[in-house]
Amino acid sequence: MNPVLATVLLIFLAGVLFTLPLLPALMELRLKRDAQPLNVIQQHGGEIRHFSYGFRTYIADLLEQLRECVASGTTAHGIMPDGGQYLLLGRADDTRLVSNGAKTATCQSVVAAGMDVVLPDGITFAKEIYAAGKFTGGEKSVFRAILGEKDIHLGRASKVIRWAHAVGAFRAERDCDLYGRISSDREIQLESGCAFQRLNAPRIVLGRSDAEETNIGAETAPTSLPSGRRLVDEDLQILAGEIVSANIVTRGRLYIGAGARLLGSVKSHEHMALEAGVYVEGSLISASTMHIGPDCCITGPVIAEHGIVIDTGTCCGSVRAPTTVSAPTIEIADGVTVFGTIWARTEGQVVPQG
Amino acid sequence: MFYSLYAIVILISVYTVRHYLFTLNRLFGFQRHPYIDIDTAVWPPVTVLVAAHNEEKVVAHILAALMCVNYPEDKMLVVPVNDRSTDRTREIIDRFCEAHPGRIHPFHRIGGKGGKAAALKDAMEMVETEVILIFDADYIPGSGLIKQLVAPFFDPEVGGVMGRVVPLNVGTNLLTRLLDLERSGGYQVDQQARMNLRLVPQHGGTVAGVRLSALREIGGWNDNSLTEDTDLTYRLLLAGWKTVYQNRSECYEEVPETWQVRIKQIMRWAKGHNQVLAAYGLELLFGKHRATRRERIDGFWLLGVYAMAPLTLIAWLLALGLFYEGVAPLQGVIALLAFTAYAATGNFAAFFEIAAAARLDYTRQRICLLPFLMLGFVVSVFSVSRACVSQLMAPITGAKFHWDKTERFRTAP
Repeated sequence: MNPVLATVLLIFLAGVLFTLPLLPALMELRLKRDAQPLNVIQQHGGEIRHFSYGFRTYIADLLEQLRECVASGTTAHGIMPDGGQYLLLGRADDTRLVSNGAKTATCQSVVAAGMDVVLPDGITFAKEIYAAGKFTGGEKSVFRAILGEKDIHLGRASKVIRWAHAVGAFRAERDCDLYGRISSDREIQLESGCAFQRLNAPRIVLGRSDAEETNIGAETAPTSLPSGRRLVDEDLQILAGEIVSANIVTRGRLYIGAGARLLGSVKSHEHMALEAGVYVEGSLISASTMHIGPDCCITGPVIAEHGIVIDTGTCCGSVRAPTTVSAPTIEIADGVTVFGTIWARTEGQVVPQG
Repeated sequence: MFYSLYAIVILISVYTVRHYLFTLNRLFGFQRHPYIDIDTAVWPPVTVLVAAHNEEKVVAHILAALMCVNYPEDKMLVVPVNDRSTDRTREIIDRFCEAHPGRIHPFHRIGGKGGKAAALKDAMEMVETEVILIFDADYIPGSGLIKQLVAPFFDPEVGGVMGRVVPLNVGTNLLTRLLDLERSGGYQVDQQARMNLRLVPQHGGTVAGVRLSALREIGGWNDNSLTEDTDLTYRLLLAGWKTVYQNRSECYEEVPETWQVRIKQIMRWAKGHNQVLAAYGLELLFGKHRATRRERIDGFWLLGVYAMAPLTLIAWLLALGLFYEGVAPLQGVIALLAFTAYAATGNFAAFFEIAAAARLDYTRQRICLLPFLMLGFVVSVFSVSRACVSQLMAPITGAKFHWDKTERFRTAP
């Protein structure tokens, strides 16, 4: 072969071999298939009611027809613009239509009820439910999502898969599984055995319905963020009845004796334990686990990186100063009240007292 | 020569292992986001400082965005720190003040020392709140960002907070696309892994917060530092305050669109970082202070990261020299150098960190550009090395402290 041609060929082949791995890169540079900024700005800012607001918009066009159904005492069904089915209930005794009379059934339609509604037991609702009046779900039912303009009441051992929002009060009987977001503009009340992930309401009552009367601090004034801190490198014990006015950070375990009063925020790197009747005017933060004893009162956020156990009679936040309780796992006894948000990333559970 | 080469390769290998550990932790480890779920609280008063020096192209965007955030209006004061601007920055800020009475109190600085830290230091006379947030003027915060950045301050151990920086002008050219990849690796993987492992997440000086009492305790802003953010990170650390990283607190920024601007930026970062290394490196490792053992070690490695660029170049020169000297066998160490060099250097993340970040961000096609990062690597190695050399020569050449502002590319409104 001609040496010049051979050299040219060699250079050409080497060039091809060098360029070949860069072809996908060159194509992406030219075509810009993925050149948009990452979509990271959440305009809803983590708003727990985001999906319920979206659903209210989704069904807005049906509301006029729903009112006509209520006025005429009839039922209507049809197809939404996105192809989904809907069922409009204008009479309370039409609820059997969602199950077609069967004992266990799945309803595949978006259901909108224009009045107070009581649903039968054991039905699975694969689509969202809208209730203009008071909503009462049957036992052992499964709901994808519920938007109630008044109260929502779920029967024993029911499930919510995605979200539920009540403009009025939300109440779940024993052993309900509440996945996703549960919110109320007034109050959430969960009975023993209920599991949850994210709850938000001005007042959340876990277990006994008279819990609000047993809790202290319901009118605790909002706190300001304290400055500075006292650093401790080992385990720390605050004695029973002691009054401490400082922010405290301990790199070991923290034990707070019964009836102690802490005017400031508290952090421990390891397990934190509060005995009965402790009052904390500030936040409680644990980089590990936390056990809050009975009848404590915490005004600020309660955060543990691994898990929280809260005993009966404890109160977190107040009407005027709502707060957040958050951990991967949260175990709350009957008779605890939280004003604001409870957020269990993995699972929260209401357990019977004792 | 031989032993020097080995020493450098060992150093570089340590960085490589460190970055692999970070990547594996980010992909398979326990992820720490302890404060992100605080969505209900009595939110404390906060002052938002917006550093602006000749920012007529961008300052209106951040002020408009800050007026729309989801934070109690009566508890948030925006203070644009107009640092000796000679363009329309002052006029734009004053217009916003009139449109939003009581919500913006500008700090117009007409003289004094140059640099962001000096401007922030002077602006502290306007600050009365315990929580201070800081943004550069080219950033555009989303509605939930302020609450997210304030939330960690409920922890009495937290002195500083850092959010995630996300480039906005990604699609402009090859450089912006490469910087987008670097940022994603640096924040999504590197910073979050350091947060997960309780090491030293770095304060970035923007999309960030600092506690006033902590800042006062450590002596305020250091206006002699070229990177006041790194300086702040280490002084907080030595005083026992934590800086935490919030990966889900994202904010858009404008990245440099020309190589010239990028080179200036990375050279300033390198010099500032090295300043901090010289000032606190030994004290961090051996001093008597509140940092934990793992923070001491990781903090030192983090400080040394810009010094790796000239060391990498020296290693290549040593390898070349030894090869021509006939010292053999060198294949092993050269192979190790070739394999690890890209994982150790600079400000930017290692390639595998970027690949992991792309996966975590659910992006797909942009990862195809990964081979082009070699270009960014080469530019960074030489720029950072140049910065290091000029810094070492400064006592001889008499070069003075000089702060280069990063040029903006957005069109003025």
